[in-house]
Amino acid sequence: MMGTLDYIWLGVLAVFQGPELFSIFGLPISITLLMILCGFLLGIVVGATPGLAGPVAMAISLPILISVFGYTPDALLPVMGFLIGIMKGATIGGAVPAILFNTPGTPDAYMTTLDGYPMAQKGHAKKALRVAHFASVSGDTFSDVVLVICAPFLALLVEQYLDLPEKTALLILSLSFIAAAVGGSAAKGLISTGLGLLVAFIGTGADFYPRLSMGTEALSQGITLGPAILGVLIIGAVFHELAGQWRHRDVASRPVPQIEIGSDRLSLGDIRKLMPYIGRSAIVGTMVGALPGIGSTLAATIGYTMGQRRHEKRAKLDEPAFGEGAMEGIAATEAANSSVSGANLIPVLSLGIPGNTAAVFLILAADSIGGFNPGPSVFKFTTDAVNPELVIAFGLFTAMFVANFLNWTIGGLFMRSMGVMARVPKQLLLPVVLLLTLTAIYVQETRLEVIWFTLAFGLLGYGMRLLAISPLPFVIAFILGGKLEATARQAFDATGSDPFFLLNNPIAAAFMVLSVAIIFLASRKKPESK
Amino acid sequence: MKVFRRILVAAVALTASTGATLAADWTPPGPIKLMIAFRAGGGADTQARLIAEALEAKLGWKFIPEQVTGKGGLNMAAALKDAANDGTAIGMTVTETFGYNMAAAPKAGMKPADFTGLTTTAGFQMGVVAPSSKGWTSFGDMVAAGKGGEQIRFGVMSPKLADLAYLLGKAQGVSLNIVSVRGGKAVMDGVNAGDLDVGFMAGIQAKGVAAGDLVNLASGLSEPLNQTPDAPTLADLGVAFNADGQFVFVGPAGMPEDARTALIDAIAGVVTDDTTKAGGYIKKAFGSAVVISGSDLDAMLQTSYDAAGALLKAASE
Amino acid sequence: MKKPLFQNTNVMTGLFFTALALLLLFVWIPLDSDTGLIEKVRRQVAIGDALAPTVAALFLLIGGGLLMLLEGKSDTPPAIDAASVKFVARIFAMLVLSFVLMRYAGPLAVQVVNAIQGNDLEYRLLRDTAPWKWLGYVLGGTLAICGTISLTEGRFSLRALVVALLAIAAMIAIFDLPFDDLLLPPNGDL
Repeated sequence: MMGTLDYIWLGVLAVFQGPELFSIFGLPISITLLMILCGFLLGIVVGATPGLAGPVAMAISLPILISVFGYTPDALLPVMGFLIGIMKGATIGGAVPAILFNTPGTPDAYMTTLDGYPMAQKGHAKKALRVAHFASVSGDTFSDVVLVICAPFLALLVEQYLDLPEKTALLILSLSFIAAAVGGSAAKGLISTGLGLLVAFIGTGADFYPRLSMGTEALSQGITLGPAILGVLIIGAVFHELAGQWRHRDVASRPVPQIEIGSDRLSLGDIRKLMPYIGRSAIVGTMVGALPGIGSTLAATIGYTMGQRRHEKRAKLDEPAFGEGAMEGIAATEAANSSVSGANLIPVLSLGIPGNTAAVFLILAADSIGGFNPGPSVFKFTTDAVNPELVIAFGLFTAMFVANFLNWTIGGLFMRSMGVMARVPKQLLLPVVLLLTLTAIYVQETRLEVIWFTLAFGLLGYGMRLLAISPLPFVIAFILGGKLEATARQAFDATGSDPFFLLNNPIAAAFMVLSVAIIFLASRKKPESK
Repeated sequence: MKVFRRILVAAVALTASTGATLAADWTPPGPIKLMIAFRAGGGADTQARLIAEALEAKLGWKFIPEQVTGKGGLNMAAALKDAANDGTAIGMTVTETFGYNMAAAPKAGMKPADFTGLTTTAGFQMGVVAPSSKGWTSFGDMVAAGKGGEQIRFGVMSPKLADLAYLLGKAQGVSLNIVSVRGGKAVMDGVNAGDLDVGFMAGIQAKGVAAGDLVNLASGLSEPLNQTPDAPTLADLGVAFNADGQFVFVGPAGMPEDARTALIDAIAGVVTDDTTKAGGYIKKAFGSAVVISGSDLDAMLQTSYDAAGALLKAASE
Repeated sequence: MKKPLFQNTNVMTGLFFTALALLLLFVWIPLDSDTGLIEKVRRQVAIGDALAPTVAALFLLIGGGLLMLLEGKSDTPPAIDAASVKFVARIFAMLVLSFVLMRYAGPLAVQVVNAIQGNDLEYRLLRDTAPWKWLGYVLGGTLAICGTISLTEGRFSLRALVVALLAIAAMIAIFDLPFDDLLLPPNGDL
């Protein structure tokens, strides 16, 4: 008989006792552990390199990892462990160039520049990095704890109370929420969502005729995840960045490193001062992260603003204000944006709904390898036979805590040595990233069409960035599109072709009303100016 | 259907005898592209990749597996049809692709004669499966529940199975809400989650049935299930059709005889040998290897294509 | 500095997507899917293949409409810099050219060798044999990277070529050398 604790234990064992690579002093080191470590270190490197970020590294490593580990369930933990490592590493890595050179390494590190760079200019660069690291790891760990507690519970709740019609309505609600919440404009969010759905529906469907394929063989296999997602997210971003580089090709700016003044250590007093900021931001970040699609930038903004308000009331006169190099500002930002990542996996694991790009890549990995379908069925605590997906889920939780342990122990040291990465010239790096991404997609799908598709989606992604349309709703709608249609069809069939299946039970009806209300409210809001 | 058994026995005998002489010296002129019509990571995909691995180790041939999924194998078939027919491009799908699916999709413009049949590898233990929590111990219990006014959600994973489920309901006088999902795993998840009441499962139910969580109410085949021999077959329940089917390797039409025989021998040799990883996997996941190959396979595919019309017609009435 | 390409990009975007949605709803979806919004199969009414794309088109229609109506008067529509767009178009053309080169360089080379030596080789069968298998990738990939760098920097440099060659060598080392069953582009198509 299998109990909950048995499953947790199996998950832990799956990470530590997986296929053994080598042993140190008789202690076997499993391949999964090593992969988490490699992913984590790589994550810090790419996070610290402006122009690269976690998603790029995830996109490129995925096909390589799959070739190494194959398409078996045994591959899931090493591969996803590596991706989780990247996700966590990139989060702290992004703060490095933000603090040292005023250029955020990842978009969510933008707010970190506000106090981080002034601190560095005053000669406290190392200390600022330590604050960022401490806050980031604290927020991240807190978020993971919440994830581990909430995800199984939410999944059980969903399976218990939500039938097919309610599940359909929940998917619609998530999509409308993402459309409304991401980016400044609900109208543009809807367009992005609509495009994602449309692309998901090409070549798919229940009939033998591949719809919307215009009779071509290229489209009749449908658009796979790789070209659409990587095209819009990565190739689109590369085009955009290259255009920026080209615009400023004559401006040569070389970041100048600063000299450290005073101790760079974090004293106990410092930590006591920072904790209230970190705590609040971690809670905000976790709550924001649990909602799909909002993401770390908003969390960082809220965390920073809240911290600022508190700081204005309590700070002594001789302490720097927010924006002038307050370490509380760095802590508030980093704790908030880091605590998004764990919580973001709550909707992924319990509902199968991705909320940010890192989650998108975990789903992509699970989908490519097979044997693990993120969603409520994962958390079925079968007692007679072992539910292998549940073991994987607890294995992933274990991997996250392993990564956190690495982060606490060696992360800070490694991160502080990464300042050099900001010197890599973008105009040389980006073209290489471009070909690397295209090659990575090709070796997985081996059709030249996927390269054309990816380039075309790259143009789409570039166009969306030009017009200030966020590509995230596109990606999430694209992932959820097939699922939405399938669930709706099933709900319709299961209810005996009831045309009002979305409205005639209270939970589904409530979800539907909320979906419409969110769009309505968001579109009445004044669009944020850019 | 005793014919089926006879074909099987004959086929095994045939491959065993003709094998070595004709094809011993054929080697592929280049790497062999293996198109797999199933999602990566599933049972069918694992099987195909293990077979390729075993052949690489045994014969030194080089395989390049590739996923071409969708439309019940028709996408794979369409890609394979125009590939080189010298034995360097083969595909793996289910026999249903060439029978029901090609017959039901006249627009795709494909027929079994566009392909060279190589060999089947394993059959399905297709059952009508309900969770034991429903309290049904026999197919009759389910019918009784349906007649008592309960709405019954019947999960299926292909259009052919949907037709069979429809005819099953019609023959038994209950109306079933037929719910199509993607793949057998999804039927099982739906049944486990309570979204579905009952459904077709092609072998993945074995563990659950053994553990007592699931019940085989009926066999979807022309013969009783190995695991639950007492469950009635579709014929017993008044349906003149069945879900008999196998995993099958095929090539494009017009493959030279030596290449064809060499490929058949190679694949059949691996799947029937349960000391290999592939053979062991097939034994574990699908009961036993089923090898129908060469012209027998061609004939079987053609027959099921011709017969599909009758099922399509019956289900549209 | 920046010149806006259109009077107001929000209005233009809204208009474009409204038009696209209408095209989808009335032309593409009805002509290019086999079943309508709903269909009747096995005496059960079921959702047809046209319904889901129709929902997608409605998202575009509503989004496009709202954008025109509510944000058309926004003071800060995103400005489009025509020169940057032209630059990206050049990059795109360069990439297309690179991949065409990548696709045909190998087979062409085999034909040339055949013509000279009178062989009867076929690239398809050599697609997993060194050095043939790298030919297209090296030529096309180098052009892609070196070309993109040169376009971005506004001049050709030896540095760009060196970076490209090193990167290509690294990618072959990552994707091809360690793995038996991975094929670099364009070898999986043949």
